[in-house]
Amino acid sequence: MSAVNVNVNVHHLTRVEGHGNIVVDVKNGELVKCEWQVVEAPRFFEAFLRGRPYYEASHITSRICGICSVGHATASLRATENALGVEVSEQTELLRKLLFHGEMIDSHVLHVYMLVAPDFFGAGSVLPLAATHPEVVMRALRIKKLSGDLCAMVAGRHTHPIAMTVGGFTHLPTEGQLLAMRERLVAAREDMDETIALLKALPWPQFERETEYVSLQKDDEYAYIDGWIATSDGFTYELADYRKVTNEHLVPHSTAKWARHNRETYMVGALARFNNNYDQLHPRAKAAAEELGMKPLVTNSFLNSAAQAIEMVHCVEDAIGIIDELVERGIEEEPLYQFQGKGGEGVGSCDVPRGILFHNYIIDDEGLIQGANCVIPTNQNHANIQADMQALLPQILDQPQDKIRHTMEMLVRAYDPCISCSTHLLDVEFV
Amino acid sequence: MQHVHAPGTVIIGLGNPLRGDDGVGVRVAQVLAGQVLPGDVEVVDGGTQGLGIVNLMEGRQRVIVVDAANVGRTPGEFVLFRLDEIGLLGDDHSISIHSAGLRDALLLARALQILPDEVLIVGVQPAHMEWDHSLSPEVEAAVPQIADTILREIGGNNAWRMRKS
Repeated sequence: MSAVNVNVNVHHLTRVEGHGNIVVDVKNGELVKCEWQVVEAPRFFEAFLRGRPYYEASHITSRICGICSVGHATASLRATENALGVEVSEQTELLRKLLFHGEMIDSHVLHVYMLVAPDFFGAGSVLPLAATHPEVVMRALRIKKLSGDLCAMVAGRHTHPIAMTVGGFTHLPTEGQLLAMRERLVAAREDMDETIALLKALPWPQFERETEYVSLQKDDEYAYIDGWIATSDGFTYELADYRKVTNEHLVPHSTAKWARHNRETYMVGALARFNNNYDQLHPRAKAAAEELGMKPLVTNSFLNSAAQAIEMVHCVEDAIGIIDELVERGIEEEPLYQFQGKGGEGVGSCDVPRGILFHNYIIDDEGLIQGANCVIPTNQNHANIQADMQALLPQILDQPQDKIRHTMEMLVRAYDPCISCSTHLLDVEFV
Repeated sequence: MQHVHAPGTVIIGLGNPLRGDDGVGVRVAQVLAGQVLPGDVEVVDGGTQGLGIVNLMEGRQRVIVVDAANVGRTPGEFVLFRLDEIGLLGDDHSISIHSAGLRDALLLARALQILPDEVLIVGVQPAHMEWDHSLSPEVEAAVPQIADTILREIGGNNAWRMRKS
């Protein structure tokens, strides 16, 4: 490093969900400090669940987050169902996948267009972007409305999936609703193509740092719900052994726990899924990847946002296919699960928008939750974020301090961190 | 891109029904939804959607928003004002997606050039916005009058009857 002094102190990084600080301190070319500090107050969702009946778990944990409430609810239900030995019908599996796709699109479009894109257009937020590129913002709002309506159709409302419960659904979409949604999804292909075209033209920062990529995996589809844990370093685990992957530990400058596995850090999220399960992407999504020049192993963390766009394409296509299957089978009312008087322990896992999520419950013979553990994807990324920062910094030290700050911010934003989730924060900010 | 034709007027009730008088907009929307309205008027429970209401405004001639607001009155009193009477913040205002509110949605709609020609805001003075699934007595008592004011605003020469809920 050249003899340079850099002092970057970003307090409460904007355009990420939650609160985190970036601290960089370089004196005379010597790196004194390069930290990603998570400063959310700890949340107590795991403690909330203790003593609650099993059927409340998904509704309580869906409140961990407003943008990934379906992800939490689904992982929660799978944990409960695995603990109690509940089998779900194929109709339920299809509906859950459809709902999951809705949330995936919703979360990704928000991140790509409203949190990441402004940086590339020199805009402080989506508002100035709306003035200079109205068609871009309109497209984002249009996609967001579509995905929100998809979620509401399946889950009974836009956020916090009230219709999903242990063993199935308390409310079902009609064939007419499914077909109308199918038409809108097909029409959205144009918006998907425009999204890929938009990202293709962006000046993505050049940065490579190989790490271990961790995600769910299945043999018959691009894994979002259930499966086994797979890592790009060649390890696989049953879900029950998730702790062998996460190895959560505390670090002094963060209120969120860190994770490590085969290396000092690992990465979860769209890029990890892309790297591990590329072969199972829908052909249209693979074509989008080719447009963007992306093929595994992609080791530029900034391209996590590009991987999200590829997943948006995949989810639209897979949703159309799921609707076709549901309509062909015919939607039917199904009996709901009745508690059998026997508890158990179970792990449920989903690969939610930001990465692999684990819910682990112990339920007693009264049907009450006696213990719960939730390992959040963003938690698992914190260590990798810091390692990336430390690797990137020397490469950009010769730039103006403001540009260093901005590039560091973009790096963190690329992960789409959901910091409130990762510290399980109950936000009681009064407006 | 072809858009579905939207009724000329949309009435959007905003707020969080779990936070006391912050729920007044949603309550008024519910009351209005139970009324017989002109064919070109749509009522929407906007809840706490934030930027989601931007989509609702596209293609309309008029939007009426009902929301709890500090309008410097006693609880239950409300003020009807047009957007051009108050103005909005300038273009460099940065909005937070996470807590985007009415002002942010209006700013965004204006930047996207889809803000309707007529924007009316009904601001209702709250008594409190603590955790409470009921409205305060003062605001509760004002709901019929707020709804009636809006009905007169959108109505023609017909006499509208208020259904008791």
